[in-house]
Amino acid sequence: MKNALGREVPDKLGDRLLEPFQGAFATTPTGQKAARHQKTVRPGENKVLSSITEAIEATGLADGMTISFHHSFRDGDRVVNQVVDACAQMGIADLRLFPTALFPVHEPLIEHIQRGVVTRIEGSMNGPVGAFISQGGKLKTPAVLRSHGGRWRAVEAGDVAIDVAFIAAPQADPYGNATGIRGKTPCGPISFCAVDAAYARKTVVLTNDLAPYPVHPFEIQQGWTDYVVVIDEIGDPESIASGTLQITRSPMRLRIARLAAEAVKASGYFKSGFSFQGGAGGISLAATKFIGEEMAQAGIVGSFAMGGGTKLLVDILRQGLVRVILDGQAFDTEAITSLREDPNHVIFDPGHYANYDSRGCSTYLLDAAFLGATEVDLDFNVNVNTHSDGQLLHGIGGHQDVAAGAKMTAITIPALRGRLPVIVDRVTTVTTPGEVIDVVVTERGIAVNPKREDLRDRFQQAGLPVRELAEMKAEADRLTQPPGKPNFGDEIIALVEWRDGTVIDTVRRVVGWE
Amino acid sequence: MSQETIIGSANKADCRITITASNTLQIEVATKNRELLETGIRAVATKVCSTVGIEKAAIVVEDQGALDYVIAARVEQALRIFSPKQIAPVRPSVDRTRSARDRLRRSRLYAPGNNPRLLVGIDLHEADCVLLDLEDSVPPAEKAAARILVKHLLATVQFSEEVWVRINPLDTYGRDDLTEVLLGRPHGICLPKAESGKDIIEAAEAMTQIEQELGIPIGTTWLMPIIETAKGVLHCEEIAAAHERVVMLAFGAEDFTRDVGAVRTQESLQFARSMVVVGAKAAGVQASDTVFADLEDEEGLIAETREARDLGFDGKGAINPRQIAPIHAVFSPGKQAVEEAKRIVAAAEEAEAKGLGAIASGGKMIDKPVLERARRTLKLAEMAEKGGKW
Repeated sequence: MKNALGREVPDKLGDRLLEPFQGAFATTPTGQKAARHQKTVRPGENKVLSSITEAIEATGLADGMTISFHHSFRDGDRVVNQVVDACAQMGIADLRLFPTALFPVHEPLIEHIQRGVVTRIEGSMNGPVGAFISQGGKLKTPAVLRSHGGRWRAVEAGDVAIDVAFIAAPQADPYGNATGIRGKTPCGPISFCAVDAAYARKTVVLTNDLAPYPVHPFEIQQGWTDYVVVIDEIGDPESIASGTLQITRSPMRLRIARLAAEAVKASGYFKSGFSFQGGAGGISLAATKFIGEEMAQAGIVGSFAMGGGTKLLVDILRQGLVRVILDGQAFDTEAITSLREDPNHVIFDPGHYANYDSRGCSTYLLDAAFLGATEVDLDFNVNVNTHSDGQLLHGIGGHQDVAAGAKMTAITIPALRGRLPVIVDRVTTVTTPGEVIDVVVTERGIAVNPKREDLRDRFQQAGLPVRELAEMKAEADRLTQPPGKPNFGDEIIALVEWRDGTVIDTVRRVVGWE
Repeated sequence: MSQETIIGSANKADCRITITASNTLQIEVATKNRELLETGIRAVATKVCSTVGIEKAAIVVEDQGALDYVIAARVEQALRIFSPKQIAPVRPSVDRTRSARDRLRRSRLYAPGNNPRLLVGIDLHEADCVLLDLEDSVPPAEKAAARILVKHLLATVQFSEEVWVRINPLDTYGRDDLTEVLLGRPHGICLPKAESGKDIIEAAEAMTQIEQELGIPIGTTWLMPIIETAKGVLHCEEIAAAHERVVMLAFGAEDFTRDVGAVRTQESLQFARSMVVVGAKAAGVQASDTVFADLEDEEGLIAETREARDLGFDGKGAINPRQIAPIHAVFSPGKQAVEEAKRIVAAAEEAEAKGLGAIASGGKMIDKPVLERARRTLKLAEMAEKGGKW
């Protein structure tokens, strides 16, 4: 069947019936949320087990079941590989993996996929595992990609029933309260998987720092936790800071960031109570820095800023330029320290900020946001999942949730990456539909979605270089021969869900080249 | 014939070309995104081969994300070295109109001529003049590569403002530079270490000769002598007045202080800067101040730019795009100056309409220089309004 963007999408995934994407806010959820089975723990019962193997046995994990993980250690995670290795050694097979995200560190999973230990994956894949899946024929059913909010929704809605949630906890108490911002190796908030802990059939907290009760903040709560296991290593906090945490020095990228900041300034939203999202990535960081400077200069105090948390955002909070920072993830140690020490630096989870099936999202209160893309097309549709060669290499992150919510969503991208055009006629994969993208900022100017004539007028009045996407594309295309185009076969490698659970696009196997 | 010719580099945005002898034309491409990029890269290399008439060679292009003009430049250079017979330089068709003699030149942004990575998007920073450099930023071994690259860049990139090339002095590589880069039709040529009127006439005549040879309209390329020696400073007026191609003198403090054995301070540059301004203005051309080298010190840049403006300079050099906005801000007139200029021009127009000889505004008499200055202020303001910042 075809969805509202004209993309062909399947109507079933295994037993699950699928709905096509109908529009950013077109669907209305009905019925009840899924819920966990009942259980009670009586006074004096012990939850602490001595090994991962023991925990796997205690949970009754068996062939065909679903296990989940968070990605707060990012490329430094040590838990996913340990748990899947243990499952393999115990002869458990046919597992469905439901991580929030996988990183290059999880490359060893490829062997487990080849041996049938892991046969399905629903979660973001950054790097080698995604590239491997892209070859086709590797999984029993297509992978499923969801946004932060979309994943939370899927668990609550019962689209994904988790059998065992394995939660890496930098600090936990024997009763199963856990946090990511304390302990020997803090990684920042671990609340991304609070929904896993609350909904899984069994919840296992894995920690390398078992501390006396009560460990707080209660990101993971005792009422959710079945077992606590102490292990030597859960992750390397050095690796939470990926290479995307340096403010760009490239004059071109700085120009993009400067233009984005000027666009915000001219948008009409830049006044007392202003709120924005400043993520990682060289351009976003620079734009965040410029906006902080502009706020200081204009004497504007913002209401809140959303992370991933970085030193840059912490500085903005300390300077009193925003009242509160809300963070679901930390991207450096300064952010973690601040989360521990500053009462106005607050942990929130995707259920709070991004869940479509909820009574409100923080992203809906955002004035401005800067997001990246691998490709943007002339209809303002954005791809963040695949490259122009069709390889599945990135997760969605909060892209859809933020874009759908923010009053001004700006995609900040260079018009060319090396020889590769970023503005294309039609994106390889639609991650986020053009209807929720307001502006695209490149080194060649600012393109405004025709839906936002108000912004176009404001930018023009401010003397900003307002351009058409097609013009910027034509200029970039003058500098390189057009790239080759992949031919896609019928086999679906992955489904991309919109944040309401409908299917916005598929990723198909590349079978040749034009 | 050399057995193997290697050109270019493995740096980002560049490519490396290796050519060996072969009985046919073979082009092999190595690049990170092979399926996406191989065909396009081969097409660029093939086109250069057919343009220069090479039919037999085995060419390997190792791409690091180079744009077409970089690949074309590297392939051309490699073929010219490889080929046993003389190959005529590629003559691109360039559509660039001559710029106005007295246009605004608040900033001149230097870019190293053989660094493809730093040249990407150099046209986008809204510098009034971009200066593609073949001199100090290019080591001797790379001079040929740089001039060919700059030629292809000039032919491909449509600069919305002015684009210039700083060649080497004529007694080193300057003539070869001119022969190559004039094919790319820059708006002007910067001549470093200008010391006398004779230097200028020599350069201008060389340009005329090359323009003639190349069939380019004669006299359409401007000259910007750079004053950066003691001799140059003492001959500013003569240099500025030496040829009608000269539209601006530029001052280079680094070489100047070295030449006279001075330490760079505001005081030690004062005389030279004044000489450059006065010499230029005496000849009716513009003057542009030296670059400010400390990229991190924006306040210092602004202070030095203000001094330059107050001395009478029309613009200033920049070593990084970041410096352009502050420089433009200093050279753009403030609101008060614009209002004043508007009053003066309005009074003049009124006087003219009434047929009055003497013009007065706000009780003061206005003479011709004041009126001209007011008109220039309005033009500057209009330019700053239009682009300037962006």
